[in-house]
Amino acid sequence: MRRPLLLAAPLLAAALIAGHGAFAAQATQAPPKSNAPFDPRGFDGTWDRYPLPTDAQRDPTTVVAPPADIPPPPLKPQFKPDWEAKRKKIAEANARGEPIANDYTACRPDGMPTMMQAMFPMEVVTNKRQMTIIQEAYNQVRRIYFDETLPPIEDAEPGFWGHSSGHWEGDTLVVDTIGIKDYVMFRDVPHSANMRIHERMRMLDANHFENVVTVTDPEYLEKPWTWTWIYQRRPNYKMYEYVCEENHEFADPETGAQRMRIVPPKKD
Amino acid sequence: MSIGIRSFARTLALLLSGLAAGAAQAHHSFAMFDNDHQLKLSGTVTDYKWQNPHVYIWLEAPDDKGEMRTWMIECANPGILNRVGWKFNMIKPNDKLTVIVAPLRTGEPGALLKQLKLADGTKFSNGGPAGPPNIPID
Repeated sequence: MRRPLLLAAPLLAAALIAGHGAFAAQATQAPPKSNAPFDPRGFDGTWDRYPLPTDAQRDPTTVVAPPADIPPPPLKPQFKPDWEAKRKKIAEANARGEPIANDYTACRPDGMPTMMQAMFPMEVVTNKRQMTIIQEAYNQVRRIYFDETLPPIEDAEPGFWGHSSGHWEGDTLVVDTIGIKDYVMFRDVPHSANMRIHERMRMLDANHFENVVTVTDPEYLEKPWTWTWIYQRRPNYKMYEYVCEENHEFADPETGAQRMRIVPPKKD
Repeated sequence: MSIGIRSFARTLALLLSGLAAGAAQAHHSFAMFDNDHQLKLSGTVTDYKWQNPHVYIWLEAPDDKGEMRTWMIECANPGILNRVGWKFNMIKPNDKLTVIVAPLRTGEPGALLKQLKLADGTKFSNGGPAGPPNIPID
């Protein structure tokens, strides 16, 4: 009786490490199709990730989307063990109730491509020169300049959102991004200065668009790493500001664990 | 055998809570709070901060042994709370509140909010990522 149970736990842990495969079926389900007429380049507006975690119930209190059906990164064999060990360590620390502090603990924003997972609502504003995407969490802003020539990759100043150029192929906006700081990582996957993020954004109907993301990195990845995020309109939503002002969570200097700093109430 | 099943259930619950935390892709894991031993606290607000990345409420209330403590209660952020119906000025010092919280595993007087009830009886959640209460507030 015990054996199958014992076998199930590592399988579940493997699913965790592999990128939350348990949610795959939910994420790959196509959104309901709208037949309303729409502008095939009409990305402007406010958006949530699709599906929201409780989309089946449409719980209005839930704002954070589940992971998309993202395959594990095709890391070169020499980098895979370290990555798997790191993911295992994080999962085990959570299971022990001693989570490891991460970038958010230090008030650092997602950067690219993590920002596009749309933790909170995002806004798209387009003019002739650029598409600007604003993510509510951490007031993140990325600017995609149309038909811009990107600098040679070795001259791209590293940042959180990098340098993005977009062009239209039919009604698909094709975006290339370079210049992401090496410690700005998606799912803890290491990358080099030669990483490129390629995105293909396409309206699916009046209320949904998809973003097919492909990451390439000749130093770390064996082959391109691709997944799709889908977004649904959140009509008439007004974005809130977000300054990561004062986090009372901190990284324990000895253990690296995330802890809460208890401070007394302010005295009048 | 029942111990095996129980320990498996516990492992599964812990893994799933880790999964949920990862799934949320929220700011962090909530694993430092003890979700299995939630507390109901009733007391008086001594301070309140409406800010990112978390809103905090300081509540003077007795713990489950009757000892008076000042609890520092972590809430979601202003954006999430606005979306679930909170208002920045709905709580102020000296207000009477009842809350369901998941306390820190360390035993320190810190906790994650699960549900809140104002003096007029209005109830609010702490948004989806923080998870629902598992004990009644009434």
